[in-house]
Amino acid sequence: MALAGGRAIKTIFVQGPVPGFRLLLVIILSTALIVADARFDKLAPVRSYIATALAPVHWLGNAPYEFSGWVASLFTTRDDLLEENEALRARLLILERRALKYAALASENNELRRLMNSSEVLDDRVIVAEVVGVSPDPFSHEVIINKGSRDGVSVGQAILDANGLLGQVQQTSSFTSRVLLVSDSSHAVPVEVVRNGLRAILLGNGDIDSLELVHVPDTADIRKDDLLVSSGLGGRFPKGYPVAKVSRITKEPGEPFVEIEATPMASLNRSRLVLVVFPPEEQAGESAPAGPEATDGPAPDQQEGR
Amino acid sequence: MLSVISYPVFVFSVILSLVLSISLFPVAWLEFRPEWLGLVVFYWTFRAPAQFGILMAWCLGLLLDVLEAAPLGVNALAMAVVAFLVLTVHQRLRMYPMPQQCLMVFLLLGINQMLVHFIKQTLGGEDAGFSYLWPALISAFIWPPFCIVMDNLNRKLG
Repeated sequence: MALAGGRAIKTIFVQGPVPGFRLLLVIILSTALIVADARFDKLAPVRSYIATALAPVHWLGNAPYEFSGWVASLFTTRDDLLEENEALRARLLILERRALKYAALASENNELRRLMNSSEVLDDRVIVAEVVGVSPDPFSHEVIINKGSRDGVSVGQAILDANGLLGQVQQTSSFTSRVLLVSDSSHAVPVEVVRNGLRAILLGNGDIDSLELVHVPDTADIRKDDLLVSSGLGGRFPKGYPVAKVSRITKEPGEPFVEIEATPMASLNRSRLVLVVFPPEEQAGESAPAGPEATDGPAPDQQEGR
Repeated sequence: MLSVISYPVFVFSVILSLVLSISLFPVAWLEFRPEWLGLVVFYWTFRAPAQFGILMAWCLGLLLDVLEAAPLGVNALAMAVVAFLVLTVHQRLRMYPMPQQCLMVFLLLGINQMLVHFIKQTLGGEDAGFSYLWPALISAFIWPPFCIVMDNLNRKLG
């Protein structure tokens, strides 16, 4: 009896090894992990494995949305569907006409490029992905898409939506990838003004609908409503996709640079369907050994994906 | 301490808290989301300190790190610290009335959030003022219903 009582008390108050010792162990282990991950980037495969194992969590998180969509589709009337079909057909016609015109322009462009002996390939291959989650950390702008390394997505690829550049792939697992949005405070895109080719760097500042154009000299020719497109410098983003529109210019007399705010073209917090851009193979093969910036690991990283 | 512990309930609560910590919350209010996984760690180390401890909390924190894309080990460390603190006070905690338990939840999860943000800022994150304490506060308010639901589940299924 006394023995049994003693045992019961034991299970209450004794926990094998002292918790303090375990805590010390865990602190050392965590510190090692944090340093290895944040400073030396050694743990990407481990993270990728865990993320693959956690894919069901993302599916479950997305399930209510899909379920509500399914229920809504059950109750759509035939008339609504017909109407939608009609509208889509009209839209298709318009787009097809535009594509025809575009095809002519593209062939003309290719011809001109051939004449100028430039070998740039115009068309990028894309796949469509769906946003299945957003980062739970309110201080970082990241979304999760439902295409991963199994679909050929790799770190550094550009992500677009229907209106412009959305961000870049930061991390992949087998079934999902994490996309850093252009508005994240650690993100930067090299851009140029479409009107005159003026180059600058567009920084995110943690605000979902404003970006910051930095290091533009006081005398530069830049105006409100100028369209900024990716310049392709640095080799990470493909050239020529719209990124943002200049919304406000503040000139401070005495400051060497102008303060410029821009609104992102892509609807960063509304897009559900996004495009993952694959760089054309020939171009990728060519540019890798070409520029020192492209091979020089940390430098472009710091410039674009800090 | 509960007389019975149901492991299925444990697994279910972990999965649910992971799902809840990435979705089902309005994006505009993400700042005010409760720290679900922190609550789960708090509950299980509080109710079953012999079975669940620091290492369990550390592993769960590691999962949260991957979900949040934080540097691996940040949330793991913070969760382990919560588990450790709960283990050191759980005997007193059991005597406390509910409001005082809520206060402890706020304190411990506040320490958790503070650690996470301290490490992230050391690594070059954004300074967010004291707004990172919102999750701890909201979690403290959620603690009483959460605790009752979990206790009932344990009793029914354990």
